[in-house]
Amino acid sequence: MSIPTVQVSGIEKSFLRTRALAGVTFDADAGITGMLGPNGAGKTTLLRMMATVLAPDAGQLRMLGWDPGKPDERLAIRRRLGYMPQEPGFHRNFTAFEFVDYVAILKEMVDRRARHDEVRRVLELVGLEGVSGRKIKALSGGMRRRVALAQALLGDPDLLVLDEPTAGLDPEQRLRFREIVSERSTDRTVILSTHQTEDVAALCPRVVVMNEGRTLFDGTPKELADVARGRVWLAAERAPDAHLSWRTGDGRHRNIGSAPSGAELVEPTVEDGYLLLVGTKAFDEEAA
Amino acid sequence: MTTWHADTMLLSSYASGALDQARAYSLEAHLLACDRCRADVVGVSDQEQLDRIWAEVTEAVDAPRPGVVERGLVRLGVRDHLARLLAATPSLRLSWLGAEALALGFAVLAANAAVTEGGRELGMFVFLVVAALLPVGGVAVAYGPGMDPTYEVSLASPMRSFGLLMTRAAAVLGTSTVLACLAALALPGLDWAAVAWLLPSLGLTSASLALATRLRPLVAAGSVTFVWVTVALVAAYRGDDRFVIFRGGGQAAFLVVIALSAFVIARRREAFEQGVTE
Repeated sequence: MSIPTVQVSGIEKSFLRTRALAGVTFDADAGITGMLGPNGAGKTTLLRMMATVLAPDAGQLRMLGWDPGKPDERLAIRRRLGYMPQEPGFHRNFTAFEFVDYVAILKEMVDRRARHDEVRRVLELVGLEGVSGRKIKALSGGMRRRVALAQALLGDPDLLVLDEPTAGLDPEQRLRFREIVSERSTDRTVILSTHQTEDVAALCPRVVVMNEGRTLFDGTPKELADVARGRVWLAAERAPDAHLSWRTGDGRHRNIGSAPSGAELVEPTVEDGYLLLVGTKAFDEEAA
Repeated sequence: MTTWHADTMLLSSYASGALDQARAYSLEAHLLACDRCRADVVGVSDQEQLDRIWAEVTEAVDAPRPGVVERGLVRLGVRDHLARLLAATPSLRLSWLGAEALALGFAVLAANAAVTEGGRELGMFVFLVVAALLPVGGVAVAYGPGMDPTYEVSLASPMRSFGLLMTRAAAVLGTSTVLACLAALALPGLDWAAVAWLLPSLGLTSASLALATRLRPLVAAGSVTFVWVTVALVAAYRGDDRFVIFRGGGQAAFLVVIALSAFVIARRREAFEQGVTE
């Protein structure tokens, strides 16, 4: 039996008096694992640990079979890792090309020509070849996120850790992102943190839902949708005792929970299952 | 219309790059005008070599022109990848270097503008304290959480953070030293005191780096700055000699600080690779 690419076991982490992770456990292997959860659920903390930039207070973590707590093994992980942080920082006076080239140097690509070829390749992948000579400070927010994604793709890493990569991207860019990531997921492991349930439904064969530092759900998107099976109704009115309810585009109310009178039972989505799991906290964020 | 055609041997020699320059130029002029020879030269050309040449052309045309600092470093003999790593150092930017020059300029101005011996001494004292501190600030903002915008991405990459920090620290120390040396030339009555900041500067910077294995770099630098200014002021105003901390005893103390800091940094260098703790 092969060892999973990512093994997370009983991970705990606190920042001063705030408990960010309270014993998270899950494994991930080749393919895309989507991490869903409201703000403060602990997703970013966990992803930073997977990216070897944050150490847990307790628990076991292994990536690609190595322990990030040991210097040599941490280096081995970093050589095969691509990481896009939630809030990627840039040297704003660099051009897009120079910035990705800078990260390529950090990734030990010393040969100038080979490195530049690789930089051109990833910039083309994210559709930025036309603006590679433009300064980062002159790029839009969506373009900057694509620059951040490009640097993560350098060297075709075995493990891609992407923290909210689609935030700020327009629908076309999100589709392009799905294309890029899905192409890489056949024999590589991608950990994708997102607020977008559509991304999870479209991309991930596996989804982990987190809330308040714990794992609430671990399964397929269909299984997550099934959490709400038999509990999603379309009705002319809002059900007074519905768990969650909102008015849809066609004027009817989508009610999650008990059925109002004359309601039509409908097929649940990943979003319905997610909202039912995490409750009003996530709903409030979506509404905001 | 051309009346002659190059033979296969001549074309092969040209395509492989073996033809001398004068004949190659002559043949190239002919190739521009002769369809048949242009077609023939394709058949004798090595595809791998053509790809290599094309890659070189692409590289020369597409590679963006680096910025001022980076170009300057390359001209000084720094390798291009190292120049890019240094160009990303916040404290090697022209704005930071300008601020350093300004701080030194004010201290030199104060020393020169003073009309009394006491005033000149005070100006010199301020210059020495400031010159010793400059690299501490520069190194603190060179790399680390909150300072380097790409810190997390750098940390997650295989390049050792310790190596990157030391490279940048050396560059910052070098530029600060050059600036302070130039400023010292403008001090009134150039003597030993003009370079008395050198060891303190190295000592404070190394102490700050040693502390950074436990604290955030900016907190470490702030602590060192506070201690340095306090000690310098107390030493200057408690005795008759304002410069006591820069004389033999003080310099010897800084040698000890440098040795101790180097020991701590070497022992705890792995702390720079472990990432942020908060």
